[in-house]
Amino acid sequence: MVNIVVPIKQVPDIESVRFDSEKGRIDRSSAAAEINPFDLNALEAALVTKDECGGTITVISMGPPSAETTLRDALSRGADRAILLTGAEFAGADTLATSYTLACAIKKSGLFDLIICGEKTVDGDTGQVGPEIAEHLDIPHIAYVSNIEIFENKIIATSEMDGLVQLESGFPLLITVTKDINKPRLPSLGAKLRARKAVIEIWNADNLLPSEQKDKLGLKGSPTKVHRIVIPGDEGRKGIVIRNAPDKAVTAILQVLEEQKLWERRE
Amino acid sequence: MSIERKLQDIVGQDWVVTQREHIEKYLSDETCLAVKPAPADNVIVVKPANNKEISEIIKLAGSEKIPVFIRGGGTGLCGGAIPTKDGIVLSLERLDVIEEIDENNLMIVAQAGVTFGQMLQAVEEAGLFFPPHPGDEGAQLGGLVACNAGGSRAVKYGIIRNFVKGLEVVLPSGQIINLGGKLLKNNQGLDLLHLMINSGGILGVITRVIFRLYPKPLNSGTLVVSFNDRRSATDVVPLLLRSGIIPLAMEYIGHEEIEIAAHHLNLKWPAEKGTAHLIIMLSGDSEEEVYSQAERVSAICEKNNSVDIIIAETREEQSNILKMRSILYTAIKPNMADTLDVSVPPASVGLMMDSIEKIAKKYNTIIPTYGHVADGNLHGHLLNNLHDRGLVKTVKREIYQASIGLGGVITGEHGLGTIRIPDTDLIADGVTWNLMRQIKKVFDPDNILNPGTTIP
Repeated sequence: MVNIVVPIKQVPDIESVRFDSEKGRIDRSSAAAEINPFDLNALEAALVTKDECGGTITVISMGPPSAETTLRDALSRGADRAILLTGAEFAGADTLATSYTLACAIKKSGLFDLIICGEKTVDGDTGQVGPEIAEHLDIPHIAYVSNIEIFENKIIATSEMDGLVQLESGFPLLITVTKDINKPRLPSLGAKLRARKAVIEIWNADNLLPSEQKDKLGLKGSPTKVHRIVIPGDEGRKGIVIRNAPDKAVTAILQVLEEQKLWERRE
Repeated sequence: MSIERKLQDIVGQDWVVTQREHIEKYLSDETCLAVKPAPADNVIVVKPANNKEISEIIKLAGSEKIPVFIRGGGTGLCGGAIPTKDGIVLSLERLDVIEEIDENNLMIVAQAGVTFGQMLQAVEEAGLFFPPHPGDEGAQLGGLVACNAGGSRAVKYGIIRNFVKGLEVVLPSGQIINLGGKLLKNNQGLDLLHLMINSGGILGVITRVIFRLYPKPLNSGTLVVSFNDRRSATDVVPLLLRSGIIPLAMEYIGHEEIEIAAHHLNLKWPAEKGTAHLIIMLSGDSEEEVYSQAERVSAICEKNNSVDIIIAETREEQSNILKMRSILYTAIKPNMADTLDVSVPPASVGLMMDSIEKIAKKYNTIIPTYGHVADGNLHGHLLNNLHDRGLVKTVKREIYQASIGLGGVITGEHGLGTIRIPDTDLIADGVTWNLMRQIKKVFDPDNILNPGTTIP
């Protein structure tokens, strides 16, 4: 029996989302919201573990009330319990405040053996929240895991953190997983329809912390200050016709590649 | 002056290519190797920049009586783009500008060499929707129209023909004409616009297209409904359509074939149960509407022996299912001698598939068959073992006869091209073929454009 917690985040579909270059932010209304794709791999890893060893899967998400749909999606794919952390106190959180909030919620949710996170979110792209949760909970973690083997009292994980290494740990443990670990399953229509009516536990800041500690949440608990966000433009394809004789043409092509930083001259 | 030089005078020296190693890709298309026609030896590839250069090239070819083979994306499956006679390959690749997305009229105006993928991206970025999906996104718009492509998202809104509202065409005389426009109603004389659609390039060179667009459905979902036998899967289709569920797409596929496609893309086919699957793409203005349709599909399919129903909702998960379906042909192609494209009345699909199975048994082979089941359009694949035994033609013609016997045709969306011309003798309608030949003569008396293709 392995009791697993999977933190998940609702993100915009990053392939179709539009960026507001002037304001330097994502226009979230421009694309459908979905589970962070890496979190789907985390959930699948949890489902495979549950299939093999038994246990329960709790999914926890911090976000606006609309993030409930993401949790319902996770329930339809096989999670047992879903908790939504929502409220004004959580808003504006950086990775430190987010990981602290999630760690508090995980502690409150009950006993756990394993926390599985996606390696990062596609909208934030930091890869920090998972390992920071482990630090707040004072448990070990293994990041960028592409394979796991679960035994009764230990787990062997292949990490792509620094080359390819195999690491062994007891429980409790937090791992963050890469896309390579599995191919997520799709829910059955029946499970999807049932999940639409399932109960989602809604927790606010009062459920998590005494009021004197609330300054660790949301914007107040976030030391990160975003100075400016720059969205790189799309340069598109370019064509250059070079008409020199072959040896001179080679030099000319190399020069273009060098200018574009696609090739480096070795002395 | 040589033809090469004259062509260079029209388009500039960079855009005329004669060296064989540089023109290889212009001599082939996606037709199966065993039935693909051989290209001619003396071929010049010319790449004009606009309709005026095309007009000049066509006039030159006409005066010199040189065949012109019009080249789009080269994604056709019936040998229609292969230069089978010495002549000119006219590539439209430089006509690659999307001129306008008219959001108020819901139309896109684009040059013929724009690829289907480029157009889809532009339409998507404009927040609009182009429903049909003929498969290969490297196809060019002119080719889509000249071949009246079909594909998998034709159930609710129709095939390419239903979206073409205007065309610019360079005629074999060199004259440039405009047919239609941003119009939904147009009864001004005979409909030459629709004559151009599926003309296979034998009546003119399509240089610009106007397609109708639609608002993007706010919600969509893709179901994979699995069955333990093929007939249950095909027989449920008319029941679904009759019940008022008109999905964007409804595709039939066998489990073994789709696993090959999934492996080809390193993806996972989501359904583990069943041997026969229906892919059903639903759309609606709200999540509720999609779920309500899904529940109705579920009720009907469960009554008719379905064993599992899976739903994909995120863009990526839905797109992966479509990708696996779209790559099927490419994935199976190495083992394939020919791919068939019969089209029968939609409710006869089950009977057609039974006939194909019977023919396969008779010749001691298997004929993997899948297709656009709600459109009655099936792709049966004749494998290399039939080619090795010299039986491709025999088996193909038996399948064609079965299709004709059910009130069907020998090609639903791929076209006659060159490879199906020899089989048109099975269709005994001499009057119709003669009318087509006379129409060709009116447009192209010297038989310059795409000779030997499209009509017998």
